[in-house]
Amino acid sequence: MNYETVIGIEIHCELKTKTKMFSSAPVSVNSQPNTCVNEIDLGHPGTLPSLNKEAVRLSVMACHALNCEIDPLIKFDRKNYYYSDLPKGFQITQQFHPIGRNGYIDIPTDSGLKHIRINRLHMEEDTAKQYHSGDETWIDFNRAGTPLVEIVSEADIRSAHEAMIYVEKLRNILVYLGVTDGKMEEGSLRCDINISLREVGTEEFGVKTEIKNLNSISNIEKAIQAEVIRQTDLLENNQPVEQATRRYDDVQKTTILMRKKEGSVDYKYFPEPNITPVLMDPNWLKSIIDNLPELPDHREKRYMEAGLNAYDAGQLIQNKALSDFFDELIKETSYVKLAANWCLSDILANFSTKQLLEKAYSLKVKEMGNMINALGKQEISSKQAKDIFVELLKGNDYHQTVKVLNIEQVSDQSVLVKMVEDILNENEQSIIDYHNGKDRALGFLMGQIMKKSKGQANPVITNQLLLEGLMKRKP
Amino acid sequence: MKEMDVQGFKALALQCRFELSDEEAQDIKNEFDVLISQMRLLEKIDTNQVEPMVYPFEEPTTFLREDVVENILPVKEVLKNAPKEKNGFFVTQKVVG
Amino acid sequence: MDIKTLIQTTTPKERVNEAYNKAHSVQEKLNAMVSFIDPTEQVNLLDSKSNDLPFYGVPVVLKDLVNMKDTRTTGSSGILDNYISPYDATITRKLRDAGAIIIGKSSCDTFGMGGTNMTAWTGPVANPYDLTRMSGGSSGGSAVLVASGVVPMAIGTDTGDSIRKPASFNQIVGFKPSYGRISRYGVIPYASSLDHVGVFTRNVKDAALSLEVLAGRDDHDMTSSSLPVENYGDMCVGDLKGKRIGIIQNVIDSIHNLETLNQFKDLCQKLESKGAIISSIHLNEDLMHAFLPTYYIIANAEATANHSNLDSLRYGVLKEGQTMDESMILSRTAGFGKLLKKRFVIGSYALFTENQEEVFRKAQKVRRLIVDDVKRVLENVDVIMAPASGQGAPKFDDASIDQLSKEYLIAENYMALANFSGYPSITVPMGMVDGLPVGVNLTAYAHQDAKLLDIAFGIEKTTGISNVIKEVTQ
Repeated sequence: MNYETVIGIEIHCELKTKTKMFSSAPVSVNSQPNTCVNEIDLGHPGTLPSLNKEAVRLSVMACHALNCEIDPLIKFDRKNYYYSDLPKGFQITQQFHPIGRNGYIDIPTDSGLKHIRINRLHMEEDTAKQYHSGDETWIDFNRAGTPLVEIVSEADIRSAHEAMIYVEKLRNILVYLGVTDGKMEEGSLRCDINISLREVGTEEFGVKTEIKNLNSISNIEKAIQAEVIRQTDLLENNQPVEQATRRYDDVQKTTILMRKKEGSVDYKYFPEPNITPVLMDPNWLKSIIDNLPELPDHREKRYMEAGLNAYDAGQLIQNKALSDFFDELIKETSYVKLAANWCLSDILANFSTKQLLEKAYSLKVKEMGNMINALGKQEISSKQAKDIFVELLKGNDYHQTVKVLNIEQVSDQSVLVKMVEDILNENEQSIIDYHNGKDRALGFLMGQIMKKSKGQANPVITNQLLLEGLMKRKP
Repeated sequence: MKEMDVQGFKALALQCRFELSDEEAQDIKNEFDVLISQMRLLEKIDTNQVEPMVYPFEEPTTFLREDVVENILPVKEVLKNAPKEKNGFFVTQKVVG
Repeated sequence: MDIKTLIQTTTPKERVNEAYNKAHSVQEKLNAMVSFIDPTEQVNLLDSKSNDLPFYGVPVVLKDLVNMKDTRTTGSSGILDNYISPYDATITRKLRDAGAIIIGKSSCDTFGMGGTNMTAWTGPVANPYDLTRMSGGSSGGSAVLVASGVVPMAIGTDTGDSIRKPASFNQIVGFKPSYGRISRYGVIPYASSLDHVGVFTRNVKDAALSLEVLAGRDDHDMTSSSLPVENYGDMCVGDLKGKRIGIIQNVIDSIHNLETLNQFKDLCQKLESKGAIISSIHLNEDLMHAFLPTYYIIANAEATANHSNLDSLRYGVLKEGQTMDESMILSRTAGFGKLLKKRFVIGSYALFTENQEEVFRKAQKVRRLIVDDVKRVLENVDVIMAPASGQGAPKFDDASIDQLSKEYLIAENYMALANFSGYPSITVPMGMVDGLPVGVNLTAYAHQDAKLLDIAFGIEKTTGISNVIKEVTQ
């Protein structure tokens, strides 16, 4: 039996605001428990919500970047249930009127771009964090009230790999917008996968399970693969797939049952009476959209137009902090491909994403630009560049470093001519080899000159002189 | 409108996280008949094409709060009403499911 | 005497101490106070404040739904019996900024949900005019503390008529301004789309003065009004010439008490002699029958959701169980009274998805029709008017109320029209019926608080009933 995997993905994403969705308490980052709350976040009797403008702005940006229709009238609803991490006993969310609808992103697959539809994007608030310890549960309300957007895709995804690409691309877009940090390991981006199987060629959806608490992009792929195996197994043995919530165990490499879904919970949604609908100023709305930061696709295109190949361009945009650094660097040099190589290797090797984000390094981008220019003009060799780079990392200037390290390039013709002559005299066999068609001899001779000059011979001029010298000594 | 019996009311109460005694549930059931009669008065009214009214004043507003930190409750105040707390956390019995 | 005179003729210490002592002396008979607040600290702080402030050193009381930092705010409930507010309601802050001295938190029906004040956790509140009778509710405590002369102003809330009915039973002014005119931030809610904060005073001008202090946009309350706060006090002129008053005929027709009807007719004649233009208006009778169930459904549904925060986890009286759910259930079961539980069950019934369209949303649709109807009648008159109740306060053990009678549905519950619509509404004393006070209620169109107060003042001048204190016999 051939089964088709049908996947829909729900993403919850913490918005990068200073304060909560409905209160002016700060959004916390690794703070002491219950130090970033006020009476509103704690759901004290008599408190009322006050809507965060920046949360709205970020949500609008996300809607636009994901090609959603934006509803300029903001309405909220109550989702009612009782739980220890839900201080009001209801969550304020947008059930009936999400801010964004009918969006999409196109993801790159082996068979070209695939259109993944986005059903909705809506604003809501986060719950508190709980820690289970034996017979007790400890609760920290710092996270309660943090602004979230929930992005729900249609069930258009057909493989674990597609799912991974979808989440990666979506996440990247949101990071580029500055809407979120998008850190799955820290929980600022959470991914729930709804997955079911059906016989190839059928239209009806199979029974779906939900996989939650995935904490990395790679685990998304692994979890889905494991679940597909599990569900396939059941179906092949004529056993039913049960609706349930599962989590992925990356030690056992399987999905584990968390809880069964017995019927659906009645959330008794109704419009939030304490927030009258807010009409967004059309000028403000327009200015948000007109001033949207550059999106990854656009940046990738820009890099390719500047001369990078698809692979390098793609690699660079995956890491926005690195890509931002690259953009700074290419202001100082036009050797774009070299700059890209250095970024993808040496910069990544020496700096963490955090350092890049915070510009927490002594390296001066202008000086690195100078170095790459020199390298591009072949005024220095790759080896010399590596040595220079070590010094630049400390915050030193390019020209200063070249002096200190004595990396003066030898370009004086007379000096080089002598060197070429000397080497040719010492390597008669190579001359014969060269004229017998062995091109490697040229490389060997160049290497000898470089060695003799301690790497300081101007390679372009030297190569020219060497060829001339070899022609003169044609047997 | 859904028909309700004593068990139904007890179940509804439990959904709201409190318990009704049999007596209390029976009381409610008795009163409910009056209530249903009152609610039936609504059925007499034609609301075809009428939108539900959620707010007394329906004009949309424009206010949005600036994203500036203003009000943090000191931890002492946060925890002063806590029925159970440890090390700055609120504590409850184990959460099942 | 009115508040301005009080300020001019006494010292802060004098008037505050008198109020505080009197509050204690009536407590046994009236049971109006949940918590007494020693005013010493507040009075000391007055030294650093300007004595021009409108409520300088004036003793007032807050309904115990109103948060005041570091005081018990119980909502007259069991579950919040030990709750100490960590924050001030906006109105608390405004009152204090205006120089007011808060001497206590008054009893009410639990969370404002009732019309008798008999559901208060601390027990029923008695009517100073007859201690065997109820104060009325839900703001009963505040009403009787003003009526018995303890304080010249007390804060109440009004969701269906919870200020305007007890005012009627106690011969005082009970004023509910337009929705959103006074911020609800920090006031424990009953039903968010129906709740209004308002005041009890012994004369209309004091109510106007109170509104000047309490009104204004509050960004903490997104439903609060941005309209400018007017000089409501100065605008109380009371000249009734040419003022068009529409008598709600449906209410008149449903009242059986002849004395009430006669008093009302008398009043209308007097008003006409002052130049008012009295006419008869009719609201849609079917809609009027539906006021009570519409109110009941919407109010209880919203209330059930509003009080889902009471899980005794972050605050409140905890009864521990074996699991988190069990603790929630035990605490809520113990902390809610029987009547409260009933209302939550009804609220939940209206909201569950299977029923929502037929019950909750139906009620919301009927609400719109009601408001359209009220708007219609107010197009041709300045205010609509009727007795605030059919007769005086019922006895505590009065089982005679037929909850399906026209009188009950209309005469006793019509004032909810001002909550559905958000229109400003006020009760002022009319006279005595069978030895008990009965008031008259007026409602004006949206945001016409100044006009309403002005006309109410004119009626007060006509009846001559103001600044009445019913001393509680010791």
